[in-house]
Amino acid sequence: MNRRFTLVGALALVAPLGALSAQGGAPKKGAAPAGGAPRFEVDPMWPKPMGNRWILGSTTGVAIDSRDHIFVVHLTDSFTQRTEIGLTVGGAAYGECCASAPNVLEFDQSGALIAHWGGPGDGYNWPEANAGLAIDDAGNVWIGGAGNIDTRILKFSKDGKFIAQYGTAPAAPVAAAGRGAGDTAYAGVSPGRGAAGRGGRGGRGGRGSGPPPLPANSNSMESFGGAMGFAIDSKANEVFVADGSRNHRVAVVDMNTGAIKRYWGAYGAKPNDADTAKYEPGGAAPKQFGQVRCVRIANDGLVYVCDATNDRIQIFKKDGSFVKEATVAPQTRGSGSVWDIAFSRDAGQKYLYVADGANDKVHILDRESLKELTAFGDGGRQPGLFYAVDGVATDSKGNLYTIETFEGKRLQKFNYKGIGAVTKASQGALWPAAGGGAKK
Amino acid sequence: MTGRRKLILAVALAGAVVSLGVGQHALDAMARVHAVQAPRFEVDPLWPKPLPNHWVLGNVIGVGVDANDHVFIVHRNDTFDARNEIGAAQNPPLSECCVPAPPVLEFDPAGNLVKAWGGPPADGKYVWPSSNHGIAVDNKNNIWIGGNGGGAGGAGGDSHILKFTHDGTFLMQIGQPGQPTNSNSTTHFGRVAKISFDYKANEAFVADGYGNRRVAVLDMNDGKIKRFWGAYGKPPSDSQLPPYEPGQPQPSFRNPVHCAEPSVDGLLYVCDRVNDRIQVFKENGEFVKEKIIKPATKGDGSVWDIAFSKDPQQKYIFLADGKNEKVYVMDRQSLEIITEFGDGGRQPGQWFAVHSIATDSKGNIYTTETYEGKRIQKFVYKGMASVNPDQGVVWPKR
Repeated sequence: MNRRFTLVGALALVAPLGALSAQGGAPKKGAAPAGGAPRFEVDPMWPKPMGNRWILGSTTGVAIDSRDHIFVVHLTDSFTQRTEIGLTVGGAAYGECCASAPNVLEFDQSGALIAHWGGPGDGYNWPEANAGLAIDDAGNVWIGGAGNIDTRILKFSKDGKFIAQYGTAPAAPVAAAGRGAGDTAYAGVSPGRGAAGRGGRGGRGGRGSGPPPLPANSNSMESFGGAMGFAIDSKANEVFVADGSRNHRVAVVDMNTGAIKRYWGAYGAKPNDADTAKYEPGGAAPKQFGQVRCVRIANDGLVYVCDATNDRIQIFKKDGSFVKEATVAPQTRGSGSVWDIAFSRDAGQKYLYVADGANDKVHILDRESLKELTAFGDGGRQPGLFYAVDGVATDSKGNLYTIETFEGKRLQKFNYKGIGAVTKASQGALWPAAGGGAKK
Repeated sequence: MTGRRKLILAVALAGAVVSLGVGQHALDAMARVHAVQAPRFEVDPLWPKPLPNHWVLGNVIGVGVDANDHVFIVHRNDTFDARNEIGAAQNPPLSECCVPAPPVLEFDPAGNLVKAWGGPPADGKYVWPSSNHGIAVDNKNNIWIGGNGGGAGGAGGDSHILKFTHDGTFLMQIGQPGQPTNSNSTTHFGRVAKISFDYKANEAFVADGYGNRRVAVLDMNDGKIKRFWGAYGKPPSDSQLPPYEPGQPQPSFRNPVHCAEPSVDGLLYVCDRVNDRIQVFKENGEFVKEKIIKPATKGDGSVWDIAFSKDPQQKYIFLADGKNEKVYVMDRQSLEIITEFGDGGRQPGQWFAVHSIATDSKGNIYTTETYEGKRIQKFVYKGMASVNPDQGVVWPKR
């Protein structure tokens, strides 16, 4: 009796976590689906230290170019001045460490930093909070902005020469510093701290100390509302924009002129910013997109959209007609579970990798069925763990790269290890075998 | 002339290249000329093992090692961003991840979590510090914990020390809690940073602290304050100090007095953090000497914590500098820096605010990071070796 009571008690304690883990159609422990799933191992010593005592801030965009070079964009103002970037405080050194690396960083396959650029310059407006980064077939780099007043997207050559910016200036004059109550993705990323070191806070000039957020304008043909990601369709000469942190749509622009050609909201309908119904786990599916954090185009022409705060992927044809949707970890509140998507590199792109910055996991889904096969990662600062995994990308060898925003501030590499049997719904940290993989 | 100009230009360019890190190989080659003999370490990127239960660490502000090389840490488990970091601890839960781990965690040498405990007691028998700080294991396997929480106007802060058994059973509360700063008090402390022991004398040395500006010496059994002193062995004062300026005389300790480490030969090494210096005393409080470390360092200062090497003579000091993100390997007798390693960053072997340091019986080093570093890392002792004066990040060879 006593024993049974203990067992029931233990189950009750585990239940709330277990209920969440069982979301998304993940198999029960031991129930390996036929065909297995891609396996990965984190490389704890990739990339190499950048030198110059440079450090990464909240990292908000990652993409791989045709040479398998890894580009990231990060927030160079996401630091606590006194404790994190003492080398640059007020122009007078507080200490020898550290300084922010430039906004855009390019790493080669060995993990060496080979180029760096970005930030404000003549002839364009660098975003308030750069986010999303994509590389087109010409090797040009597209960068969005998820800040409260970001309305543009920018295009640079791969070595950082400005080419164009699209989207008009903020519609309303930007008021002096006010309350940043906006639901933008990086509002409060590394917010300023009260007492140094307490509260888990970094220092992006203080939560809410930025300009107040502009209203959404999801039906604008002139500007964007916090572009957070891109997909390139070179054949059609089009770029698809995840729009975004304030807007609730996918916008398709002409690759050369940046003109908005068409756009759509959830289920392919015209977006309605006045419909502010929030996602509630177990409740009715929202008719609008929440925060649109990514858009990706598969080789077969399907368009995958991250509806982050609604915990779902919506899939469209390129013309915007709705195909289907799937939820991922639908109990997730707050920032939501679907932050970014990458495809596996087999010809059929059989697998989807979903970065989930709220649950600090990467979900592996079968692309056809959209069933979750397994997941890996967990919260933490060690290799293979995440704090707010914001983006995911794959290289030609199938290796996977993740970036972390907020105080995660990392770029991590997971080496592809082939397809293997799935034994766990949630694999935790994918460390090299025997804990010795890093040692020889 | 033109040739000379070209040369100057070439040298300037080479300098620029080196400063960009592109010339790292050239730099390594140059440095090898001046290689030094020192204990060498490699970070173990896969230690400790991931925590269970979606637990995460907050500011890790203390580390101690017991007789069996079990590693104890104490962290502030209220230093999280509610929405982005500990969503699973909200009501209703926002996400599966994460949950604050209990304040005290014990790891075995393999990095397995053995036990987790700490926090305010249900029965109110003692006062858990509002901001626990520093953890030490004595030779009876008991655990001592300080606290640096400050109350309003300096009153009502953490002014006591707690002593527990190895598995977290409460033993003793030393000093009245909730008292204001008073560096001359014999009844309470002023926001204690760290505690260390001299078993022969049965005394505990208290780095006291974030409020007080002194070293206090206790009887290990009854916790009575036996003696105390300030900088240069003088009576401590709590009078207001101007901000730290490099090169100025500093007659007083500043807050925090961050470590007080007795060595085998009867000396006491004190971390005067913000003054960028180590002061060395006899255990009776008599001033012996001091060493200034990176005196240009402002803000948090350069001298955060000290551990000694495990050879019988304690030949080396390992000094954690959480501002410049380095560990210095120093000769304990001369107090000269022999070599340094580490750098700023979130990867293995890098740090954000390396706060505490300890060694185990095999000579391995453990470091913890506060602020948003929030880690414990292990650096494996690899014996004496020829190393560069600045080793950078000490990764294992592939």
